Amino acid sequence: MAAVVQIENLRKEFDNVRALDGVTFSVESGEWIAIMGPSGSGKTTLINILGGLDTPTSGQAVVDGTDVARLDEAGLTRFRSEKIGFVFQQFHLVPYLTALENVMLAQYFHSTTDEGEARAALDRVGLADRIDHLPGQLSGGEQQRVAVARALINHPKLILADEPTGNLDEANEEIVLRLFRELHAEGHTILMVTHAPSIGQLADRRIDLAHGRLAQVKVRA
Amino acid sequence: MFARLVWKLVRGSRGRLGVALVAVISGAAVISALLNLQFDIERKLTQEFRLLGANLVISRSSAAQTGVANQAASDALASPTLMDQSAVLGQVERLRTPDVVAAAPYLYVVARVGGAPVVVAGTWLDQTPKLDPTWKLEGNWIASRVDETQCLIGRNVARQFQIAPGGQLELSYLGRSAQLRVAGIIDAGGAEDNQVFANLPAVQTLAGTQGEIELVQLSVSGTSARIGAYTSRLATSLPGYDVRPIRQVTQAEGSLLDRTRLLIASMVVLILLLTALSVLATMAALALERRKDVGLMKAIGGPISRIVALFLAEVGVLGATGGLIGCILGVALARWMGQRVFGTSIAPRWDIFPLTIALMVGVALAGALPLRLLGRVKPAVILRGE
Repeated sequence: MAAVVQIENLRKEFDNVRALDGVTFSVESGEWIAIMGPSGSGKTTLINILGGLDTPTSGQAVVDGTDVARLDEAGLTRFRSEKIGFVFQQFHLVPYLTALENVMLAQYFHSTTDEGEARAALDRVGLADRIDHLPGQLSGGEQQRVAVARALINHPKLILADEPTGNLDEANEEIVLRLFRELHAEGHTILMVTHAPSIGQLADRRIDLAHGRLAQVKVRA
Repeated sequence: MFARLVWKLVRGSRGRLGVALVAVISGAAVISALLNLQFDIERKLTQEFRLLGANLVISRSSAAQTGVANQAASDALASPTLMDQSAVLGQVERLRTPDVVAAAPYLYVVARVGGAPVVVAGTWLDQTPKLDPTWKLEGNWIASRVDETQCLIGRNVARQFQIAPGGQLELSYLGRSAQLRVAGIIDAGGAEDNQVFANLPAVQTLAGTQGEIELVQLSVSGTSARIGAYTSRLATSLPGYDVRPIRQVTQAEGSLLDRTRLLIASMVVLILLLTALSVLATMAALALERRKDVGLMKAIGGPISRIVALFLAEVGVLGATGGLIGCILGVALARWMGQRVFGTSIAPRWDIFPLTIALMVGVALAGALPLRLLGRVKPAVILRGE
């Protein structure tokens, strides 16, 4: 299988704090990777660099053949639009847009909107009857499912999920995890930051970070 | 999708945008009213100036150099230099334009009433209400210029001879006499209160000067330049006669028009600035509120140009909506101001609508400068919740 992500000696410093310190690993297409570690270990920094939200101080972060470190502001924007699907812990939906419009917003920034496709994406995450609801009218689990639909709508090469179940109750967590299992089964490549070992066990590989360094890599038995 | 997003943005921030909208509507209403006044002010002011009476005098000699009609009348009485009625009035009629509000010949004699001298002016009495619109009248105007049986008398004459409207007045001059019925008593607040006004043929018969007049008074509307041009045409066609504008009136008119235009232009600029400042304050607060949305939009791949275009369109909608509503209110305001200031309503000018709306859109966009700051938003920072 081809590597979708190749990270080589990745470093990131904020002022004098070293958030990532020579991280190297690769992710094959269709893999589900769980990135774990204590707070401040560099998990979110890693995700942000891979998603083009931040740039490394040195090293390489190649996603689907594109070295993120070499992109300018406009290139990063295009990269995020075309190759990445984000799912955040805080959902991050636009509060005055309906579920459907939140999904279509990602289409609009990518190229052109297709309402039918956006409806199908929401149907797929089980929200066919909630498309005209505003985020404030949806439960946390429903909002996260809208975020998943939005992440999928442009057919990204890589899904980056930062604690996607961190704000959900047990029932909603299960619904969202089931979605991720389905996405994985369909061949999507997923990098998921999580604190929960039970979620980490669902992944193909678990990468532990500590103080910005790769502590250990565990492959699911 | 663009329009849909803009609509949602507007709805999503309707509270804060409402404040800016009120500012834009207020600004547009006042600007629209002022521009309506600005464009209509010339017509209104010249109408106002016509209330001051004649502003052009034709006479035979330099006696007409004096500005006011009564001074001219006094001079004519002192050294009467008569003009041929048909020659002068023929030219006046030939060159008549819609700007000529009224024109009337005058012939003055000092007749006697019961032995007491009184100035009698022969004119066209049907022109008097238009030529001297500020005169107050007790009784009736005389609608015909050929009615030789009636006259108007000044209030001092009425008091002196104790004559009421409907009474009789017997005039005598060099052995000739005329019996006239008093149709009305005028209160001009000037020398005219001491005079008797009869139609020209009656006074010509009394004076024995058929077909002759002393001067012609005209009330001409328009700007100083238009009145000047008309004066020149009239002077060219009447060689040997003095055709003179009454300078106090025309110069005051030009000066007042210029000052009024400057005042209105200054107020428009000031209001535009104040409106822009008000929008600026609202947009600064809105830009802070929108940081999170913009950070998210950038994170999911939104180019800053497209994101800013959304917000600018939102501001454009704000300016256009405020401008349109303001224009409609401005028409009502202009009408009210017209009634209060000029005593007549200002006719709305529809070409002011696009001008005001364009100004308001421009002002709203200028006030949206703080949205520029959104370009600096770092999505990673926003998503961290900082």
